[in-house]
Amino acid sequence: MIEFDKINKIYPDGTKAIKDFTLKVNEGEIVTLIGPSGCGKTTTMKMINRLIEPTSGNIYIDNKDIRAYNMHELRWNIGYVLQEIALFPHLTIEENIAIVPELKKWKRRKIWDRSKELLEMVGLDANKYRKKMPRELSGGEQQRIGVIRALAADPDIILMDEPFSALDPISREQLQTDISKIQKEIKKTIVFVTHDMDEAMALGDRVCLMKAGEVIQVDTPQELILNPKTQFVKDFIGERKSPWQTAVDVIADQSEKFVISKSDYEKDTYPREGMFIIKDESNQYVGAVVDTKSIEITPLQNDMPLYKATEAIQTSKHPLFPVVKNNRLVGVLSYQVIVDYLKSKTKLENGVIQS
Amino acid sequence: MSDFISVFQNRQDMLLETIWEHLQISLISLIIAILIAVPLGLVLTRYPRVAEPIIGISAVMQTIPSLAVLAFLIPIFGIGTTPAIIALTAYGLLPILRNAYTGIKEVNPALKEAAVGMGMNSMKRLTKVELPIAMPVIMAGIRTSMVLIVGTTTIAALIGAGGLGKLILLGLDRGADVNLILLGAIPAALLAILLDFILRGFERVSKKAGFKSFIAMIVIAILVVTTPLLINTSQKADIIIGGKLGAEPAIIINMYEQLIEDQTDLNVELEEGLGKTSFLFNALEQDSIDMFLEFTGTALVTYLDEDAKSNQANEVYEQARDGMMEEYDMTFLEPMEFNNTYTVSTTKKLAEQYDLKEIGDLKEIEDDITAGFTLEFNDRYDGYVGMQDVYNLDLDVKTMEPGIREKALTKGEVDIIDAYATDSYMVELDLVTLDDPENLFPPYQGAPLLKAETLEKYPEIEDVLNQLGGQITDEEMRQMNYKVDYEDKSPHDVAKSFLIEKGLLER
Repeated sequence: MIEFDKINKIYPDGTKAIKDFTLKVNEGEIVTLIGPSGCGKTTTMKMINRLIEPTSGNIYIDNKDIRAYNMHELRWNIGYVLQEIALFPHLTIEENIAIVPELKKWKRRKIWDRSKELLEMVGLDANKYRKKMPRELSGGEQQRIGVIRALAADPDIILMDEPFSALDPISREQLQTDISKIQKEIKKTIVFVTHDMDEAMALGDRVCLMKAGEVIQVDTPQELILNPKTQFVKDFIGERKSPWQTAVDVIADQSEKFVISKSDYEKDTYPREGMFIIKDESNQYVGAVVDTKSIEITPLQNDMPLYKATEAIQTSKHPLFPVVKNNRLVGVLSYQVIVDYLKSKTKLENGVIQS
Repeated sequence: MSDFISVFQNRQDMLLETIWEHLQISLISLIIAILIAVPLGLVLTRYPRVAEPIIGISAVMQTIPSLAVLAFLIPIFGIGTTPAIIALTAYGLLPILRNAYTGIKEVNPALKEAAVGMGMNSMKRLTKVELPIAMPVIMAGIRTSMVLIVGTTTIAALIGAGGLGKLILLGLDRGADVNLILLGAIPAALLAILLDFILRGFERVSKKAGFKSFIAMIVIAILVVTTPLLINTSQKADIIIGGKLGAEPAIIINMYEQLIEDQTDLNVELEEGLGKTSFLFNALEQDSIDMFLEFTGTALVTYLDEDAKSNQANEVYEQARDGMMEEYDMTFLEPMEFNNTYTVSTTKKLAEQYDLKEIGDLKEIEDDITAGFTLEFNDRYDGYVGMQDVYNLDLDVKTMEPGIREKALTKGEVDIIDAYATDSYMVELDLVTLDDPENLFPPYQGAPLLKAETLEKYPEIEDVLNQLGGQITDEEMRQMNYKVDYEDKSPHDVAKSFLIEKGLLER
């Protein structure tokens, strides 16, 4: 758990880079920091591993002030993924991965096993890649190594500084998927800086939108879209591409009009007609029924863009689709909400559709 | 080509010795330069504000001609390898320093940040990340520096440090003897290529092994250089006699050596072929040498800054002797007979064409001729400065090294040159000397110059050396010089046969 308490950063020339920044990142949570360039998102992140020191305020990790830790040991326990990837060009892939474990004086055997495990986790053949030099790898592969290098010594916290911005769109999407998948297994506390709203929404459990060194809004992606606190938030989110690229959880209906609880289902206390999605007490997705008959339906992942979701919807005979995040039900997608959403995103100007 | 091979065969021993000296001096200088410049460069990357001024200073050191650095160092460190190594080290600093600084500084900032962010301390970051990445750049600096140092080491011979420069300077002194110059220059070039090859090998290894190979390289180099020094600890001689570059001083000091060793129990060591007059005098004052062959005229003009009160050789000697004693507490023993004064010489052909007999006759043709003078002659009052004054001449002067003058004269590039009366090429080239009716050039008679305290310590050498007083005529000296310069006899043998002939030494 990371806690920022009234952090300020004032540069010698008087520029206030960060103003009264307060944020709590929970254990096992991904918080994405986003905002226009110069908003202080990277500065804020680098304060966690003390690459940058705040002018005032405190940062706590597990309720202990970070200045109370030995600085190098603190960093050994915080994985760090850089935008520039920054694999050491003179070291092999294995040696790159082994850096922090070596600093922590792990046994050779343990490092060897760990690097094998990590390489396989990101789908790279350990025997083939171990002895390669970074320049022999593609950009996407390199950043994959960058990510597992940060994970190598099994830190509790990972910092990611626009890790995918230097990659081509295909590699980027692939890595985003990988990260989501890996996070399901490893459950790290991740602070992820990005300038890509889609990425922030797709990866973040919560998104922290910053402007000029201040927090404007911290919320789940959905809340951010549905209830933007200020015009700036609206504009910033609005600066997105086609509505077809919006993630489905943003569009999904959260009214629970078509949701029933597991106990209702078991007790049969729900309408006899129509389609319903079932969830349990902890909001976990359980299944769906049509006219009281249980059916098989593949739930949509929360970060799936709309245009992909429609492909699934078109081939299905059902009108409703559950949207889940880590198997937790976050909403229901129907033709109705899709049409409403698309309509709301389409501006008419003098009777001409703007897009 | 066959000449070159015979020169090579005759001087094989000297060649091996000089190559070894050359290697030693170059390597020691390079190692010291590395040991200073690499850590300094690394430290400077942590203090960028002072970096540029310090690199600037090392750049200034590089612009000072190495000969001038040597001249500065003699009063402090004397002659021999020490000042040579200091000068060469100063010379080699810049490329290494600049490359070490730039190499580390240019390491991608993202990599530095990654290293810091992963929790490496400053030392770990340096050895694990910055140095290995900067290594090729640093090695490139070391290689540049090595070539510079190996090349410049040829000048070290001028201050008695030995090395291949000995051969090159000897070649230059002997009228630009191409074979001798090549004999020195080719091994110097090969040495540079060989060292470059070795360094390149280290560079390749260093990419993998990083810092460790760098340390290994330095340790190996130190071992190579110092092992012979540890084994070879020869005893220091009682008296060290220095001699200027050239056949004549070499022959005469060899006579001194043979006489002293024959007639006393003292050990003598010779330091032949030292560069300039001032180098020797500074070395004497500084006690790197105990004695050298100096000329009466030079003592007056150069050290005492006096004009000769008379043109009588013995009166000039007395004036110089008294002056040296008074001013420097140095004893000037009895001079030999020959008078190695400056003369102005020309070819027989030109002399006949214009009917030249005296220096003053040049006035008539001063606009048509070119003079080839040594730098020293051009600058002295008992040289060209005085010629302008006394004979009212205004010549077109080209300054050049002594060894090149006579070549330039025979090739017709210059029409007159300054020369020494006893120089061997006067014989070889059949030159004509112009008379000096105004006695502008004072007599130059050679005699041993030494500190009074040396004579107090070894009083017996006075009588021994004075045996040569009044000996050796101009003609005898010219012939002996000719034997060394043109017949390639060793100064030692020429000196010995002369002494035996005169009955000063037993066969």
